[in-house]
Amino acid sequence: MNSARDTAGSTTPLAAPSSTTSSVQMQQIVKRYGATIALNGVDFDLQAGEIHALLGENGAGKSTLMHILSGMTQPDSGTIRINNATVNIASPREARRLGIAMVHQHFTLVPAFTVQENLALDADVPLHALRYRTTEAAKPALDQAAALGWQLDPYARVEDLPVGIQQRIEIAKALATNAQWLIFDEPTAVLIGEEIEELFRVLRTLRDSGKGVVFITHKLPEVMALADRVTVLRRGQKIATAPIHEVNPTLLAQWMVGEAPKTQPLSESRQVLRPLPTTPAFRAENLTVLGDKGESILQNISFEVYPGEIFGIGGVDGNGQTELAETIVGLRTPKSGRLLWYEGEFRPGQHPRIGYIPQDRRRHGLALTMTVEENLLFEAVKEAKYRFGPFLRRAALHELAETLIREFDIRTPSAKLPASALSGGNQQKIVVARALHHRAEWIVAVNPVRGLDINATQFVHTQLLNAKQRGASIVLISTDLDELAALADRTVILSNHQMHPIDLIQRDATQIGLLLGGASTKETP
Amino acid sequence: MSLAKRLPAKPTPLYPLMRFLGIAFLYIIGFLILLVATFAVFGVAPNKALFALQQGALGGGPISPAYAISETLVRATPLLLTGLSIVVAWQTGMFSIGGDGQLLMGALTATVLAQLQHVVNPNLLIFLMLVCGTLVGALWGAIAGWLRVKRNVQEVISTIMLNYIALYLVGAAVVGPLQESSHSNPESNLLPDKLLFAHILPPSWSGGITTRLHSGVLLAFLAVPIVWLYLYRTLQGFQLRIVGQNPEAARAAGISVNQTRVRAMAISGALCGLAGVIQLLGTSERLSANFSPGWGYTAIPVALVGGLHPIGTLLSALFFGALEAGSVNAEQTLQVPASLIAIVQAAAVLAIIGVNAWRQRYPTELKD
Repeated sequence: MNSARDTAGSTTPLAAPSSTTSSVQMQQIVKRYGATIALNGVDFDLQAGEIHALLGENGAGKSTLMHILSGMTQPDSGTIRINNATVNIASPREARRLGIAMVHQHFTLVPAFTVQENLALDADVPLHALRYRTTEAAKPALDQAAALGWQLDPYARVEDLPVGIQQRIEIAKALATNAQWLIFDEPTAVLIGEEIEELFRVLRTLRDSGKGVVFITHKLPEVMALADRVTVLRRGQKIATAPIHEVNPTLLAQWMVGEAPKTQPLSESRQVLRPLPTTPAFRAENLTVLGDKGESILQNISFEVYPGEIFGIGGVDGNGQTELAETIVGLRTPKSGRLLWYEGEFRPGQHPRIGYIPQDRRRHGLALTMTVEENLLFEAVKEAKYRFGPFLRRAALHELAETLIREFDIRTPSAKLPASALSGGNQQKIVVARALHHRAEWIVAVNPVRGLDINATQFVHTQLLNAKQRGASIVLISTDLDELAALADRTVILSNHQMHPIDLIQRDATQIGLLLGGASTKETP
Repeated sequence: MSLAKRLPAKPTPLYPLMRFLGIAFLYIIGFLILLVATFAVFGVAPNKALFALQQGALGGGPISPAYAISETLVRATPLLLTGLSIVVAWQTGMFSIGGDGQLLMGALTATVLAQLQHVVNPNLLIFLMLVCGTLVGALWGAIAGWLRVKRNVQEVISTIMLNYIALYLVGAAVVGPLQESSHSNPESNLLPDKLLFAHILPPSWSGGITTRLHSGVLLAFLAVPIVWLYLYRTLQGFQLRIVGQNPEAARAAGISVNQTRVRAMAISGALCGLAGVIQLLGTSERLSANFSPGWGYTAIPVALVGGLHPIGTLLSALFFGALEAGSVNAEQTLQVPASLIAIVQAAAVLAIIGVNAWRQRYPTELKD
């Protein structure tokens, strides 16, 4: 690492900017997905020789905006100009021709290939050339990496390399196309301590060599440390663009989160059951949870959920929400800590009955090739009343499915269609119907209304509140603070491996924004 | 997402039937084209060959229909049971190739038990052979399932390896402890008549020739509704299919994926073990080093052609059985080499795979 830094100012020149005044301008960009407006007339501009941070919560539209610039998505309206010439970026290939490259959060590398082979894959060498030489094809990218002070081993297999090095390969790939405009999608999300410092050094080097760099993030300290200018998006709207010396983390947090939500009529129901019963239904003690790769996700957290309570968990995606949800429904074994149900043994499935609305309905919620009816019945078939010995009571089950389709307003012409034939919103309704219909005592919902229209959203929320009224304990994990404010009795924010209690009634936007941005624990290594 | 999203059209009641018939028609056309082409390429007059096939499978000419259909059924029997075994395993997402090994283990177990023929009542012994052969087949399948869930050994590999173990166990047994009395051939003694399945068709029906149709065939056909009931009407079958379609969703719904996988492999093995016993007691009448001509492998195209559905597999096993019976006749009457018949079989499978690929490119199902 240190030797890499020593060569930082090496003499090999990076491609010089074509002109000192060049810029990219995106004007009045609008993008709709069905009824949802992802971007509502957003302006954005990027100058050569600057690092421009694009800041916002999940779903604010950051990624959509940059996908439009990199040609992966087409805007519904709006214009893009590069050096004052209007361009039509119809594909990533076209974007590349225009000098725009994106370094994705999820790498686009072939794990089993060597570094050199991966770099050659993307090189501008015609694939049909008979004398195709990996070494030659990979050379421009390797040279770019060397210019940044990175000695990449061309013969190392990518899967054997740490994530930080893999990202360098991605960056080298992007630079080899002589890109003038570089977009980094949450590049620090996968990095640790020293790697982040190294990335920042490289981003500054790139800026100083005249490139325009977009840095997508939701972390305030990184914006303050790195960016020259910052643009804040909130729910598809541009809130502001400002030079970094004119802003501070508090102001950015307010821009990002917005003002306090209106008091919701729903909160009446919350008053009825206060104060909470003295015995918690669910208690987690000193829970430490590891991720799929053995990385530390949650460290030593404790919390309890009372009967008839909705316990809200907010925070930016990727802070351990999925892992926490899986742990408290018994799908993931914590590394250490205890789970208790009414101070007794927590045996998910029997004691308590669980209703689980997983985050990713296509991956964890549905068997898309099976019928709507079958998908609705995953849980119900376990009940004795729907069985006769080992056999299923088909008539009763069919009736139940039809009832659920009606009650939960699942729009399908037939219960016998494969679930894949339904729209995303209706697929989600299947998952919700399944989780809520059997009077579950312990409900864990992860972003249960993502992708639903207003009516369906209201419906799901009413269902959750009904479950609460009948005494169920509910954990609502959501990235939408307004949803939490409207439904949750207590709310915590998940960030930096910990839970931080917040008060959404007396909503302090600054505090919340700082927590979301991970600023409060900046000191901890 | 919104109301504006157009809902898929509701299918008319006749639609599934029409679709099925249309697809079946495509398969038949595709198969016939390949069949005729194959014969033509090898210089056999297609019309004669087709006629010989039809006579062998369904009767006609010098062959009595009862005899020909018996042959078709007898030859379909092991393919049907092993095909059903593949259906159960593959519907659970376990790509088992282990049919042959499980079948051999079933036959081996039955042969070992047959050594008790002088001590145990023959009817009881037949029952014991069926039960134990099935159980050992189940065990052979469960080993692969267990290796998968405990050690993440891919079942594609482990079942093939288990096939070899079974094959050489049988090979060692028939030149060792189970070898026939003269010790000259790699096979066991012929089983006594009292242990064999009865031939159920009176010879008068088939022009005086004894048909090979035995009571074990009935047992095999009985397995079709049982497997169908299990897969589509029981809780275990339902959960098994969820695991096969999306193990992640199954896990999230609180289904034990590991348990389901091992169970499915055991059931799959049991069906093959049963097939081994039925072949032994019904047609082979002795264990030998080349007991199975690869039924457990042919089972895979049988099940795939049958759409991984028990009823479809029944039809497809009958089709393969008819093709086999027909090809034996073609070989005898037209001196068509046996390998050509194998090519025709492979061509049939290719035709079906081709049609499947075409259907995937132009799906008739409703999509999002």
